Amino acid sequence: MPSYTYHYFDLRGKGETCRLCLAAAGVQFKDHRIDHAAWPGDYKAATPFGQLPYLEIDGKKFAQSGAIASYISREHGLYGTSSLEALAIDGVVGLVADYYSLWAKAYFEADSNKKIDLQLKLNNVDLPNLLGILEKILAGNDSGYYFGNQLTLADLSVYDILENSYRDFSNIYSSYPKVVENRKKVAALPRIAEYLSKRKETEI
Amino acid sequence: MPAFRLHYFDSRGRAEIARLMFNAAGQEFDDVRYSKEEWPAFKPKTPLGQLPVLEVDGELYAESGAIFNYLARELGFYGNGNIEALQIDIVIGIAKDFYPNLLKVFYTQEEQAKKELIQKLVTEDATQFFTKYEQLLKDNGSSYFVGNGLTLADIVVYDVIEYLLPLRADILEPFPLLQANRKTVESNPRIAAYLKTRK
Repeated sequence: MPSYTYHYFDLRGKGETCRLCLAAAGVQFKDHRIDHAAWPGDYKAATPFGQLPYLEIDGKKFAQSGAIASYISREHGLYGTSSLEALAIDGVVGLVADYYSLWAKAYFEADSNKKIDLQLKLNNVDLPNLLGILEKILAGNDSGYYFGNQLTLADLSVYDILENSYRDFSNIYSSYPKVVENRKKVAALPRIAEYLSKRKETEI
Repeated sequence: MPAFRLHYFDSRGRAEIARLMFNAAGQEFDDVRYSKEEWPAFKPKTPLGQLPVLEVDGELYAESGAIFNYLARELGFYGNGNIEALQIDIVIGIAKDFYPNLLKVFYTQEEQAKKELIQKLVTEDATQFFTKYEQLLKDNGSSYFVGNGLTLADIVVYDVIEYLLPLRADILEPFPLLQANRKTVESNPRIAAYLKTRK
């Protein structure tokens, strides 16, 4: 087993899916969390491209959260059982990434009027769109996972992206019971449950 | 190999990377193109109401990124082993960070705003973006991004730069390794043949 050190800020943000994958894989990893006050400085200089996260595999550094999550998923059986299943999983991962961009735009918007508009669109249009698609996928698969009969990167990506809205706007979820069921199922898996029980709460 | 049909509009856009891969692999595929008038009829048949869609033995799959990765796996453009796949994904991840800036330029109508966005794109943004790529090429030590042969990484970068060159012809001047990589991709015999005939 290679030695993994994962470097990211001390929050979920863009980096939590990778942590969930590492936890689901049951591998030991150093979860190096970098304080915003200490960034950039030496930490930024140590990254491959001046950005976080990056994963160190036996000392070699690899950037890009999506690439890292895919790598861990392939290595540790979280990518389904066929190339077509991986294609379907990647489809959901792509949707999640699209939604993340919209969320980030709203969250980081400085102009308070624009921010309100973006947040409203997010909750009234973008999130329901995403949840509708996810509910439909789950309706087509008996196992309660998005694809196949076991946990994949799709379940973990979705679990992560819905964290904030599930906490802050849970009323929206009443129309998406399968999404909620899948969420509970993922959270109850032993390795995930253990990871979540120890994880500190962060705003994002 | 399954029967492949690629559905997209009659342009390069988000399908060209798939077309480049099919051609580079010498793989037959149906290059289905919809005009503005034809699209509304096909739209409800797609998984997400969007294009591109890849049809694999009659099943439809959406999301361009997912499609590219799948085709790269099937057609042999995903390197050897998981570390090489990771390296390819890194190149793609960097491109994904860059695409929003590119799209913003295309969607901005107001002339002055558009001019300013283009200026920022072809100076600051491109420099940041290309510097990372130049470093990766240097680290790899071949004329390809990953390993010693053509992968999805080379094709993705080729495609992105295609949009930038018309905005600034000398944009690759400070990046000799990127220039060499581009020449390598263009001179791949199957790709060269495709580029000659493509609209």
